[in-house]
Amino acid sequence: MDAIRNEIRRLRFEHGEMTQQELAEKIGLTRQTVNAIEQGKYSPSLEAAFRIAAVFGEPLESVFHYSPE
Amino acid sequence: MSFREKTAWISLLSMSGIYGLYFWSVIHAGHQAGAFHFGGLLETIIALVLVQVVLTVALAIFSPREAKAPRDERDKLIELRAMRVAYSGLATSVAMACFFGAFDPPIVFNTNALLFILVTAEILRAACQIIQYRRGA
Repeated sequence: MDAIRNEIRRLRFEHGEMTQQELAEKIGLTRQTVNAIEQGKYSPSLEAAFRIAAVFGEPLESVFHYSPE
Repeated sequence: MSFREKTAWISLLSMSGIYGLYFWSVIHAGHQAGAFHFGGLLETIIALVLVQVVLTVALAIFSPREAKAPRDERDKLIELRAMRVAYSGLATSVAMACFFGAFDPPIVFNTNALLFILVTAEILRAACQIIQYRRGA
């Protein structure tokens, strides 16, 4: 799980300090799931990852990074 | 704590407590019961349904938005993983019950043993869900 990192926290901050709940509602997930994704404890499905990237208007690779160890 | 995790806690605690009392009474009745105590089981099931419904409704009243929200992909994944663990436990226990059943125990043992296996699998499922929610999974 740690191999996939993300920039969600920073992007939320840059987008008007969007809360996890607001992001969750936009992408159809629960706040707890957004929190788990943000902390790298849960890797979202490809569809959810695309939805998150779309909310921030960023390409997928700008939001999620894969770094094999 | 999410709504789904809270409902898993309700399931775990109510089943452990109520079925715990039932099996305690079965063990203490011993051979005096003579046969499968259907009345006791019926009371247990009614009590379990009542407790779970009342607690879940109370939970939904206090957090209506979360209660209305459908399960998301992580909830479903957690449920599937918990089901897999519970099924493994159930299958193993049933196989063991079949093996010991070959030694011709009284029917009261068989029925309660199978019920115990079923309840244990359900408790295991709820426990696995809680563990995964706690870990963030």
